[in-house]
Amino acid sequence: MLSPVTDNLDASGTFCSSPGAIEQVRYGCSLGALASVIAIPGAVPITHCGPGCATKQFHALSGINAYQGGEFHVPSSNIGNQEVIFGGADRLDELIRSTLKVMQADLFVVQSGCVPGLVGDDVGSVVRSYQRQGVPIVFAETSGYRGNNFTGHETIIRAIIDQFVDANDAPLQHGLVNVWSLLPYQNPFWRGDLTEIKRILEGIGLEVNILFGPASAGVEEWRAIQRAQFNLVLSPWLGLATAAHLEDLYGQPFLHVPTIPIGAKATSAFLRQVVDFAGLDRERAEAFITQEEREYYVYLRDFASFYAGCTSQYRLPSTAIVVSESAYNLAVASFLVEQLGLNPGPMVISENPPVDFRETIQKQYRSLADGAGNEAVFEQDGHRIHDLIRQADLTGELPIVFGSTWEAALADAIGAPLVEIGYPCTDEVVLSRAYVGYRGALALIERTYTTVVRASTMG
Amino acid sequence: MALNLKNPQVETRDQRLGTITQWDGRADQLVRDSAFTYGCSKGCDNGGRRLCEQSSPFQQASMCAEHIAVTNATIIQESVVVQHAPIGCAASQSFTARYYRDLAARRGWTLEDPKSICTNLGEQDMVFGGVERLEQTIRDAFERHQPRVIFVATSCATGIIGDDVDGAAKRVEDEIGIPVVTLHCEGFKSKHWSSGWDVIEHGILRRLVPHAPQRQPDLINVIHLGGPDVFSPLLGPLGLRVNLVMGGNTLERLAQMSEAAATVTMCFVLSYLATGLEQEFGVPEVKAPLPYGLDATDNWLRDIARLTGNDDKVEAVIAGERARIAPELARLRKALTGKRGFVAAGAAFAHGLLADLRELGVEVDSAFSFHHDPTTDSGDPKQDSLGHLVDVWGDVPNYTVSPDQHFQAHAALQRARPDFVICRHSGTMAVLAGRMGIPVLPIFYSNDGLGYEGLLTIGRAILRVLPRKRFYDDVAANSSFPYQSWWLAQTDPYAPIAEPA
Repeated sequence: MLSPVTDNLDASGTFCSSPGAIEQVRYGCSLGALASVIAIPGAVPITHCGPGCATKQFHALSGINAYQGGEFHVPSSNIGNQEVIFGGADRLDELIRSTLKVMQADLFVVQSGCVPGLVGDDVGSVVRSYQRQGVPIVFAETSGYRGNNFTGHETIIRAIIDQFVDANDAPLQHGLVNVWSLLPYQNPFWRGDLTEIKRILEGIGLEVNILFGPASAGVEEWRAIQRAQFNLVLSPWLGLATAAHLEDLYGQPFLHVPTIPIGAKATSAFLRQVVDFAGLDRERAEAFITQEEREYYVYLRDFASFYAGCTSQYRLPSTAIVVSESAYNLAVASFLVEQLGLNPGPMVISENPPVDFRETIQKQYRSLADGAGNEAVFEQDGHRIHDLIRQADLTGELPIVFGSTWEAALADAIGAPLVEIGYPCTDEVVLSRAYVGYRGALALIERTYTTVVRASTMG
Repeated sequence: MALNLKNPQVETRDQRLGTITQWDGRADQLVRDSAFTYGCSKGCDNGGRRLCEQSSPFQQASMCAEHIAVTNATIIQESVVVQHAPIGCAASQSFTARYYRDLAARRGWTLEDPKSICTNLGEQDMVFGGVERLEQTIRDAFERHQPRVIFVATSCATGIIGDDVDGAAKRVEDEIGIPVVTLHCEGFKSKHWSSGWDVIEHGILRRLVPHAPQRQPDLINVIHLGGPDVFSPLLGPLGLRVNLVMGGNTLERLAQMSEAAATVTMCFVLSYLATGLEQEFGVPEVKAPLPYGLDATDNWLRDIARLTGNDDKVEAVIAGERARIAPELARLRKALTGKRGFVAAGAAFAHGLLADLRELGVEVDSAFSFHHDPTTDSGDPKQDSLGHLVDVWGDVPNYTVSPDQHFQAHAALQRARPDFVICRHSGTMAVLAGRMGIPVLPIFYSNDGLGYEGLLTIGRAILRVLPRKRFYDDVAANSSFPYQSWWLAQTDPYAPIAEPA
């Protein structure tokens, strides 16, 4: 089964083609979606792949990426010569059988990597025999050459929905929402952000299946997906395929909000949009918004004394350069430009979003700064990304870069401070910090201007 | 058996050395069994047998040879590594960049990101082949960075689809005029990741070390896993200049390996290169047991002095060093005596750390080695580091071989219940120990335990982590592992899992 979001097929319409060689990689492969499985409390991936694949993906996405940790005890077939030559289905069967004896989980997600795809192991039929015995186990084909961890994320979600979430007559629960937003682990701030998103949605009267991370109740939330009143896709494109699939399956409507809100203006507007869509109690929602804004603006008032006054000796940045996957790129760029009043510099979207969604994304960028916004650039190769930023005309501007570890040398070269907001993020230790919503915005301001002050005072 | 440098593919260590990855028992038993594989010099006349290996139907994610080969190619200066692979294999780039920058800071190199490019193969390439994309990527690598060497690393996927990587490398090499060195490191080909060391060392020996060298009688090759130069202070007083290789090099250092008076390897897991230098260039390999612990360090220095004609200086150096560290060593021994340690590392390095701990007065009756080589490439029993450990320091009653398997490590730690763990490959073991309430000292740079100073370095580092028990106990009491309760209670890493058929 092809990934539901695989759209980069070649001319024959049969095989996914590669977007070209990449220097300074900014995402994992489909198998890297094992991080999304680990992000579901109570779920354990079982990987059918080479001996280094699973470790490499998780070490990259979690270990060295903001040092996020996570429960990595992943069973793996660690494919060797024998499985390549004779096929690995029997080995996988043995692995699953022994996994069930040793490990404790509410849900197992079997993921296959490149090797089984190439040698033609029938992984699906191995897994189905366990499903028939009532084992909570699903299968997702996540061959690394088929896509990246973004498309792999939607593949594992679809596998869970189709093979685990029972289609039954469970009553629809008004006010319950499934949230599809940031990609766990890829985005170093996903835990705090999802917690903040859940908090503000609950604030306006919803019950929330946040589905991933510490704020999630785990696998039982996944069982309740079908009962939700609607799906909320809070990202430029990731999650849309899932929401469309759920609409087909259960007739669940979905609300798509491309820009994850950061700061009171955007967050309040977002919440009102949700209230309208879901038909929630306006008064209750407005009371929550008022309370949140009151607190937020006390801090913003106090920040104004720094932003306006105490800063004559510091080089306050005037232009934002953002290099990131689209969800954070759009969210952070919007906040910096619309709410802090920075000029939009080059915006580079680095996760190779499916072509069909790119125009929708561009519309958001064009509308920034009362329509003065630049278009974003879609590019995943670090060398070309840095070339195009170096070529940008920044005459008279003081740039600041929001990007990944790969932008450190570039930021140095153009004399800009760097705030790490995306993978790979090796110079931040992140636990519960959020950058979205009301509270996250304040943390983003703190991080940004601490970086600016230090760049000015420590050279 | 001679190393075959004609073939671009290295013979795996599984084939060359009979490497195993699964075993549990007494170390002296493993020593005895290993001796059978290389024969008479350990007192038995029936060499050539293979070690018996345990097995488990359950396995957890491990590591692969590609990771090791690519990492160690990437940290060679003025190189570009092309990973001919789907994008996932290149996930290690960010780790390697961090590693390189840290090395650069410690060794005084220019602070920059190392260069590596992934061909990012898609499904189409799997069907039609990726050779064209590879050739173009090698050209791009040359144009972008003007490197002096380009490494091309294979992957499981390209190994299976059968891309002619050597042919592509040769074609572009002829075009651009710098060496394009292929690294055949498909992860499925060897059951242990340390084969990746052989791959990169094979590539270096074949392509980057010139023949017909000028000898430099005061130059000694030191092959290490990586990290700061702790060798010059030790070998300088003998009148030797250290040519530190692997773990980040300049191409000049690699080139002059064939000019050196001798080679020492700081971890016999990497012995392929030293053996190759002796075989191809006549540079003798120092075979004395590794310098972990006082006596071993004395003897190691004496062996180097003998090989390089510096016998007259060595006793003074030994006496001076011993006197220098004596007071601090006494303080550390006093603080550590009676503490119970646990070592988890790769083969020869684990054996070295075990010796260090015992020299420091730590009780250690359990160890966890990520693989086991019953012999080394030289076949010389002097390089039998486990045998040496058992001879000098006595048996290790609970000796587990496991390729960093978390569930087995849990059982081994349940059995040992140590006061602290010292480990390398910090991913699995360090967090496991910590979350079991055991303070852990992860070793990133393996030179830390070497020589006289190494005893102090390790001893001090242990004392720094012991107070963290307060933190780890708190975490241990408030978190759990996703294993069945019978496994959590298990103290045998190889306890049977599947019922007999």
